[in-house]
Amino acid sequence: MFKIEVDHKTVEANEGETLLTVLKREGIHIPTLCYIEGLPPSGACRMCLVEVEGAPTLVPSCSYPAAAGMKIKTQSPKVLAARKMIIELLLANHPDDCLYCDKNGKCDLQTLAQDMGVRQRRFAGKKNNREMDVSSPSIIRDPEKCVLCGKCVRVCEEIQTVSAIDFNGRGSSAYIGTAFDNGLNISSCINCGQCILVCPTGALTEHSYINEVITALNDPTKTVVVQHAPAVSVSLAEEFKVKPGRDIDGKMVAALRRIGFKRVFDTSFTADLTIMEEGSELVQRILTGGVLPMLTSCSPGWIKFVEEFYPDFIPNVSTCKSPQQMMGAIIKNFWADREKLKPSDVVSVSIMPCTAKKFECSREEMGHDYVPDVDYVLTTRELGQLLRMYGIDLEAIEPEAADNPFGERSSAGKIFGASGGVMEAAVRTAHFLITGKEMADLKIQALRGIKGSKELHAKIGDLEIGAAVVSGLGNARALLDQLREGRSDLHFIEVMTCPGGCINGGGQPLGADIEAVKARMQALYQIDRDAPVRVSHHNTWVQRLYDEFLGKPLGERSHHLLHTHYNKRNVLV
Amino acid sequence: MNKKATILIVDDDPDIIEQLTIIIKSEGYEVVAAGGQEEAEKTLMAVKPDLAVIDLMMEEMDSGFVLAHEIKKLYPGTPVILLTSVKSATGLSFAAASPDQQSWIKADRFLDKPVRPEQLKNELSRLLNHD
Repeated sequence: MFKIEVDHKTVEANEGETLLTVLKREGIHIPTLCYIEGLPPSGACRMCLVEVEGAPTLVPSCSYPAAAGMKIKTQSPKVLAARKMIIELLLANHPDDCLYCDKNGKCDLQTLAQDMGVRQRRFAGKKNNREMDVSSPSIIRDPEKCVLCGKCVRVCEEIQTVSAIDFNGRGSSAYIGTAFDNGLNISSCINCGQCILVCPTGALTEHSYINEVITALNDPTKTVVVQHAPAVSVSLAEEFKVKPGRDIDGKMVAALRRIGFKRVFDTSFTADLTIMEEGSELVQRILTGGVLPMLTSCSPGWIKFVEEFYPDFIPNVSTCKSPQQMMGAIIKNFWADREKLKPSDVVSVSIMPCTAKKFECSREEMGHDYVPDVDYVLTTRELGQLLRMYGIDLEAIEPEAADNPFGERSSAGKIFGASGGVMEAAVRTAHFLITGKEMADLKIQALRGIKGSKELHAKIGDLEIGAAVVSGLGNARALLDQLREGRSDLHFIEVMTCPGGCINGGGQPLGADIEAVKARMQALYQIDRDAPVRVSHHNTWVQRLYDEFLGKPLGERSHHLLHTHYNKRNVLV
Repeated sequence: MNKKATILIVDDDPDIIEQLTIIIKSEGYEVVAAGGQEEAEKTLMAVKPDLAVIDLMMEEMDSGFVLAHEIKKLYPGTPVILLTSVKSATGLSFAAASPDQQSWIKADRFLDKPVRPEQLKNELSRLLNHD
């Protein structure tokens, strides 16, 4: 520990810390465009420049180590002029269509231009001229708006280890693109949307299906129903400038009804159903010597990752569809039949924290008789947009409950939204299935928290169970490599594509830092703490669905509707 | 499944025709190809396709729209897929989903290039067997 001087004030710093880390801790706001918390600095954007006494030039605080006795100025005229100039230069070739941009009002570049007081075009550069890539069902890339901060490239490569995009070209002709300039649709992109979350401009956005949904809502021949994922209710409020961590489940249900959805179902119901199916599949694999460890299948980005990079692990992946697709399948089959509707006249919409779900619902396996089980997927952000468009005041609206038969959920289904939640829910039910008794304490601390990999070794009855939870595909890759090398103490592995799970999904509100993600996670665990039913096997409607329609877990109907298969995928064909 | 169906492919890019032909033939369909609107119109006189996959911008900016219209006039039951990169090239957005656009765009599906093989197969089987 040593002392440095910042703006004539003495502050403490530790060995190895960067100036930015110190300044942030001291509550000094330094603007950045390329900085990503938790990753090594790249120093690409230079927005974080500060003046260090004795240094010949301004230095980027994100990558400059603090040293004893340093004297720093963070807002000297020289610093402010440099930052303003950087923005002015970035704007020189940036399209002038803020009013038509998806990120209007949520754009870091726009905010910084405002903050730095940019009020005229000082440099009239040639505008970027590159084609948009709209081919992917999940993500739209508009390289014209790119400022080359490189955050998307780093997230894709360093956190997700997918490397679907990278810098192409050199110097002023550099741009970010896919291999061979093919569209994202036929690249190795797994559609997770983490790049959208870090993009400071409108260069990366989700592929929106709002117009299709509105058209369906206004079509008198269609019955439009909606399901909402566990992680949406704890983050949607942020779209309306409420601080992270507030659960507005009931208000959201009421708002969806107000918009015109005929039924509002809770995907947490099929999360409970997933636990019954996946839990039974696990027990069966253990008892009959099936392929272990079993890997979860709820996260569609992860599924594409396995198909592309680890096809040898396809037999390990649970055959269960994701909760979204299970709900889709029983809506179009069981529910439509019960309501005497033709499946093709039902439009099934789902609200997800996820962009990969948009890809998932278009998969060939995810339908019956050529009718897709889920027609359109909207992200949390798109739902926020839809609510604003329809003029719904979330503060004023009275909470309502979701519709049955798929409205009841246990809180085990709700915590699916956080990394570790699927495993916790599964262990609760596995304990009951194996020993016939409930666990004394349902909370499993080892599986909670924001860490990228967690493990649990426990004894359930006579069975020694090894479980691992990973989120972020870089962590998944590390674990799969251990398994390839022969690690064999694990039975069940939960994988979530996005770091922290669905609460940090690529479709969630923008601008969330790690504290916001933690707050969303806490909100889910708070719901679990206060819930009357906390285990999936006591969800009465799940039991009724088995009695009336499905038969038993892994039965013939379940097999037909709730299970699927995966194929090795060559991304370069 | 109607596997012997005949699919008409129209595109002014021979590479696209070749790729699409490989993908579609591998699914067991018959393929008839044409290199543009005019050629396709002639082909249509001789062959009634069960489905057409057509490009938008060929001889003219709107060749695909005109062709789609003609296909629907000749064979009203034949589904049409417009396979295009017009959104990327012009920033204009079309969707055959909304009623006012359906009134003038005579296509059943809009697909953006590049398309995944399984995505195309999926759309083909959906349109041929369901709609």
